[in-house]
Amino acid sequence: MEKENEQILSDISQINMREQLLVPNPNNREGYMKIKSFTPARLGLWRCGPRYKTQSILRFRADHAAAQDSVFSYVNPELIKVMQFIAIQTFCQSKDEYLTRPDLGRRFSKENEEKIKQQITGHPKIQLVVGDGLSSAAIEANIKEIIPSIKQGLNYYGLDCEKHIFVKYCRVGVMDQVGEITDADVVCMLIGERPGLATAQSMSAYIAYRPTMGMPEMRRTVVSNIHAQGIPPVEAGAYISELLYKMLNYKKSGLDLKAVENGN
Amino acid sequence: MESAVLSVGIDIGTSTTQLVLTRLTIQNKASSFSVPSIVISKKEIIYQSGIIFTPLLDGYTIDYSRIAQFVSQEYLKAGIDRQTIQMGAIIITGETARKENAERVIQTLSHDAGDFVVATAGPDLEGILAAKGAGAGKYSKEKKVPVINLDIGGGTTNLAALDGDQVLDTACFDVGGRLIRINPTSLEVSYIAPKIKHLIHQLNLGLLEGSVLQSAEQLNPIIDVLVHVLENSVGIGERNPFFDLFITNHDFSKLNPSLIRSITFSGGVADCMAQDDPQNPFGYGDIGLLLGRKLRESLIFEHKTVVHSRETIRATVVGAGSYSVTVSGSTISYTQNVLPIRNIPVLHLAVENAKLDTDRLAARIKNQLEIFRIHGVLSNVAIYITGLNSPSFAQLQSCARGIRLGAEELIKKGVPLIVVTNEDVAKALGHSLFTYLPRKYPYVCIDRIRAASGDYIDIGEPVAHTAVLPVSVKTLLFN
Repeated sequence: MEKENEQILSDISQINMREQLLVPNPNNREGYMKIKSFTPARLGLWRCGPRYKTQSILRFRADHAAAQDSVFSYVNPELIKVMQFIAIQTFCQSKDEYLTRPDLGRRFSKENEEKIKQQITGHPKIQLVVGDGLSSAAIEANIKEIIPSIKQGLNYYGLDCEKHIFVKYCRVGVMDQVGEITDADVVCMLIGERPGLATAQSMSAYIAYRPTMGMPEMRRTVVSNIHAQGIPPVEAGAYISELLYKMLNYKKSGLDLKAVENGN
Repeated sequence: MESAVLSVGIDIGTSTTQLVLTRLTIQNKASSFSVPSIVISKKEIIYQSGIIFTPLLDGYTIDYSRIAQFVSQEYLKAGIDRQTIQMGAIIITGETARKENAERVIQTLSHDAGDFVVATAGPDLEGILAAKGAGAGKYSKEKKVPVINLDIGGGTTNLAALDGDQVLDTACFDVGGRLIRINPTSLEVSYIAPKIKHLIHQLNLGLLEGSVLQSAEQLNPIIDVLVHVLENSVGIGERNPFFDLFITNHDFSKLNPSLIRSITFSGGVADCMAQDDPQNPFGYGDIGLLLGRKLRESLIFEHKTVVHSRETIRATVVGAGSYSVTVSGSTISYTQNVLPIRNIPVLHLAVENAKLDTDRLAARIKNQLEIFRIHGVLSNVAIYITGLNSPSFAQLQSCARGIRLGAEELIKKGVPLIVVTNEDVAKALGHSLFTYLPRKYPYVCIDRIRAASGDYIDIGEPVAHTAVLPVSVKTLLFN
C-alpha cells in the first residue's frame, strides 16, 4: 500500500479491473480471480460500511464519462481524410438532434446524394459505409484494422470493394438509402455501438443484400461486439468478407440467408 | 442447430482392452446474430464393450487380428455401422505401448475403426484422458477448484491435475495392482515386476517368483511403500526413500500438489478400494485388493477431500471416446482437399503483437524446424502460434509473411502449410497467408486450440452442418 501511495496514477481507467480485487484477506483469492476472469462485471469491490469505496465510485464515474464522451465526440477528421472516405452527413445538425430525432439520423439530403452519385458510379457489388453511430471511439479504435482485413478477405473470394462512405450523425437505416442510390448489390455498414460501462469501443456490422428504404429489419445480418476484447476487428473483417461473398452467392441476407444455409 | 456425432474410444492397456461408443452433441451456442460459437455440448455413452485381456502373439508383439476382430464384433453388438463413426481415439498404454508393433497396430486400427479416429500413446495423455473420463474435470469446473485424479491401473498410476478444462500438470508412477501376481488358491507368486524385485531386495524380504505366501500380511511392507509413494505423489508426508525408484517418467513439476485439496481415483484399483473386506485378498490373482484396502486407510483420505469418480476401470477409455477430440474455432480458413491431416508434430512459437517482426519470426521458425529434421529429411509440422491477442492488421501481415518465409523449405516440398493459433484470428490469418503463399497453395489455418511443443495434432474434415473442424491434440510416445 505504502508504495502505491507514493506513485501517481494519472488515469484511473488504466487499471485492469479484471486483475484487481479489493476484498481484503479473501478466503480464496484464486477462486475469486477466476470468477472475475469470466466477466467484465465489477466484482469484488468491497465496501466501506454500506457504501462503495471511493476508488470504486471514481472508477464507475470515469467509465460512465468515457461512455458519454464516445457518444458526444466526433470521429477525428484526420482519420476520415487518411482513409479517403467520402464524407456525408444525415439531416441531423447536432448531437442533441441526433439523439432526440432518430428519424433524421436515417436519411440524408439530395445534396449529399449527389455527392455520392458523383463519386460512386456503375453500381458496385459491395459498398462499405462507416457511421459514427453512438460511439465515435469505436470507429477510431477499429476502422483502420477492419477495412484492410475485409479487403484481404474479399481478395480471397475474388472480390473487392473501394470508395467507402463515411456518415456523420449516422443511424443504421442510412444504409438503405445508400443502397438505393448506389444500386450496390450488398451494403455493409460499420457503426459504433451504444457504449456501455465495460467498453466504449464496440462496433457492429449491419449487412444487407440490396437494401431498400422501409424494408423489414429481418433482412439485415448483424455482427456485433467487434472490439479488442470481443471479436478482434481483423477476425471480424475476415468473417464479414465471407458473409459478403455468401450474400452475393445466395442473393439473400438476414434471416433469409440463415434459412438457406440451414436448409443446405 | 444441433448435430450429433458418433465417437469411438478404444483403450489397449497393459492388461486389458476395451471400447466405448459416445454420442457427442455439437451445438452453436451463440445467438443467431453473432459469430457462431460451436461447441461439443453433450457427451453420452451409448455402448460399453466387455473387457478383454489385451491379446498378444508372444512377449513382444500384439495380436492385431484379434484386436481388429474384437472391434468389429463390438460394433456388431452395438448395432453400429463403422461408416457412421465420425471421430474418436485409440490409446495404447503402459507395457503394450512398448511392444514392437505397437505403433503399427494403432495406426492401422485408427484407419480401420472409423472416419476420423486418432492414434495416441503416452503416459501423460493417458493420465489426462483418465482424469477427464473419471469426471475430475467436470467436478473441477462445477466447484471451481483444481482436482488431481489418480488412475491406478495394473502397471502404472497416472496422475493429472486439472483446473476445469485446463491441464495443470501430469505425473506417472510404476505403482499398480498387477505388479505382483499370485495364484488365488495356491498363493504361489507367479510374477514380480522388476522395480518390485529391486524393492524386495532392498528390504531383504526374500520373496521370489515361485515362492508360496504364508499370508497376505507378508506383502505389507511392499504395499506400505507403494501407498507411501502415492501419498508423496500428491504432496503428503516425508519423501519415501524409494520415491524416485517408482517414478515412470516424472512427478509433478509445474505445481505443488499439496496445495490441491480435491482428489479422485480411477482405474482398476479404484474399484478394489470400494470393496469391503473381500473373502480372498487375492481374488483377482494380484495385489490390487491389498493395495486398494491400504489406500483407503491412507493419509490421502485424512488430508484430502476424496471425491466420488464417475468412472473407475473405464475412465481412460471413456476419456478417449469423449475428450480426445475437440472442435476448432468457427471462423477459420482452409483450402479444398487438404483434410484430414494426421500425426503432425507441433512447433510452438509464443509471440507478442508489439514485437512482431517478419524476419525475426521467420528466423525463429527456420531455427525450430531443425528439430524436426530426421536423417536430413524434414517432416511437415503444425506451426502453433500463441499471443496473437487482437493484433492490428499490420501486425497480422508481419506474422503471415514471417510464417511464409520461415516455412520456405516446407513450401518448396509442396506439403500443406498447417498453422494453428490459440487466439481467435485464424480466418484473418488464413486470408493473409493466402495473399503471400504461391497461387492455389494448400493450407489450413485454425484457432482456439491449446497445444504444446512435443504434442501431435490431427485435423479432420468439417463436422456435419457446421464450419468447425474436429481436432485432436495428443502425444505419440512409444518407448
